[in-house]
Amino acid sequence: MKKQILQVEGLVKRLGGKPVVNEVGFACAEGEVVGLLGPNGAGKTTTLRMCYGFLEPDAGSVRIGDWDIQKDNEPASRALGVCTQDETYDGDFTVRGNLVQGCRYYRPIIENRDERVDEVMETFGLTKYADAKPETLSGGYRRRLMIARAVVHRPQVVFLDEPTTGLDPEARLLVWELVDTLRAQGMAVVLTTHYMDEAERLSDRLILLKDGKIRATGTTESLLGDVVGDHMVVVSRTGPNLDGVEIWLEEKGGKHSVILTDWHVPMGSAELAEFVGRFPNLRYEVRPPTLDDLFLTLAKEVSP
Amino acid sequence: MKASHYTPSIHWQSWAVATRHLRVLLLNWHTALVPPIAEPVVLLLAFGVGLGSQMEDFTWNGERISYLTYLAPGILAYTSFMMAFFQSLFSAFMRMHYQRTWEGQLTTQVRLEHVIWGEALWAASLATFYVVVMCIVLMGFGLGGTLTLQWTWMVAVVPILFLGSLSFAFVGLFFTATLPSMDHMGLPFFLVIMPIGFASGTYFPLPDVPWLHLLAEANPLYHLANGGRRLLIDGVPTWHLPKAMLICLGMLLVLVPIVKRKLRRRVFGEN
Repeated sequence: MKKQILQVEGLVKRLGGKPVVNEVGFACAEGEVVGLLGPNGAGKTTTLRMCYGFLEPDAGSVRIGDWDIQKDNEPASRALGVCTQDETYDGDFTVRGNLVQGCRYYRPIIENRDERVDEVMETFGLTKYADAKPETLSGGYRRRLMIARAVVHRPQVVFLDEPTTGLDPEARLLVWELVDTLRAQGMAVVLTTHYMDEAERLSDRLILLKDGKIRATGTTESLLGDVVGDHMVVVSRTGPNLDGVEIWLEEKGGKHSVILTDWHVPMGSAELAEFVGRFPNLRYEVRPPTLDDLFLTLAKEVSP
Repeated sequence: MKASHYTPSIHWQSWAVATRHLRVLLLNWHTALVPPIAEPVVLLLAFGVGLGSQMEDFTWNGERISYLTYLAPGILAYTSFMMAFFQSLFSAFMRMHYQRTWEGQLTTQVRLEHVIWGEALWAASLATFYVVVMCIVLMGFGLGGTLTLQWTWMVAVVPILFLGSLSFAFVGLFFTATLPSMDHMGLPFFLVIMPIGFASGTYFPLPDVPWLHLLAEANPLYHLANGGRRLLIDGVPTWHLPKAMLICLGMLLVLVPIVKRKLRRRVFGEN
């Protein structure tokens, strides 16, 4: 059984008197990638910031290895690395300078620092830009630098806050490969994203946050089944034989979403059978649900 | 044991932050170093030599001295004040708000307390470095025969000016924590630099106005300028320097917890 590197229990955070994270708990093992998923304002970044000690939780605890991030901040911080959502590389230094300076913020001192920096630059494809200033690099390379800086001190757990936001598809793929590299090196990786395909492809396990609470956890398939349903029915709103369809959908709880000219309706198997029987002449498409559907379903849920 | 507000100043992380700034300064030495050193030299030449040559009858403390002699110790105090304040206000604000250097540092073993103390120690060290450079420039004037000071007392003045710089740095950080944007940078210059600078006796003796002298008693720059002046011109230690040190220590005692609290709110959005 893999060793649990990160253990998060009962995290609570209030900002401006409003709870933005409420009783969030999860764990991440070595070589595992956990994805924190949720719409904007769900509490992903705040949760992550408490995990790496940037924010102090109002309640709950975060353990990195054997250390509590609040009580044993220095050794716990030594065992983690962070790639923030915004670009927080040091613009006054070159790529190499950023990595060297990053090492200087850690004790015990990183052994063979220069060799380690060269090794990380090689792994992240940054060697040819070693003497360039970060702002002269493309968005993809800047993101590589951010991730390289997060791991240069050999942490056990890495937090990646929306690591591919704003990148083009090719750069995103490269970041995905880097995340796979971190996983292969045995690091525990926690990432936040609101890209469905990214969460699906990178994460071994997903944690779905809504309004600061965990709404569901599990693999992509189990999450979709639990929250959305087994099937997604797509009905054109401009097609023939629509009599009574909208009324029926409303009677079933109005879970459907309107996307352009289509209704997208999440259904369980029994409901789908009823729908088929009720509208025999209607043309529609039945497909498996995606994480996009999950977000649309969440958006329709009314917060207590 | 719970750490006090003041202990992070001796932690390695604070020095890691301060030495980061030193490395950047050394990288950009040609643009970062020359103007701040040149500015007081130009002031010294313009006011001390230029304006001073027009003022043959300058009397201070009952004795006739050259205006350059009067100005030189004041410039040392003013340099420590301005440089520390500027670094901890403008430069720190840039690093916090625009460059996001602080946020990058806070994802490591560095905590906000270390960033604050690192910024303050750096501002004070840089200001003191400029003071030392100014001392060397003044010695050049001395060698040229245009300035006579009690040079050995400079050894005593420099550490006191470091303490002054440290307290001025926290005044700057207070505004860094408070100002909403760069557009408001004029406010501290108007509220702090101008009144403290004018009521300090740096460039000219205070006029004989009782309430102004009463206000100046609370101005650390006034005591640093005048205490340094008596020491460097006459070689006479006065109560000005102990008073300056007490005021600076008092400022630190009050400002450090306030700055820490305000910056926590600013950086983390916490109360």
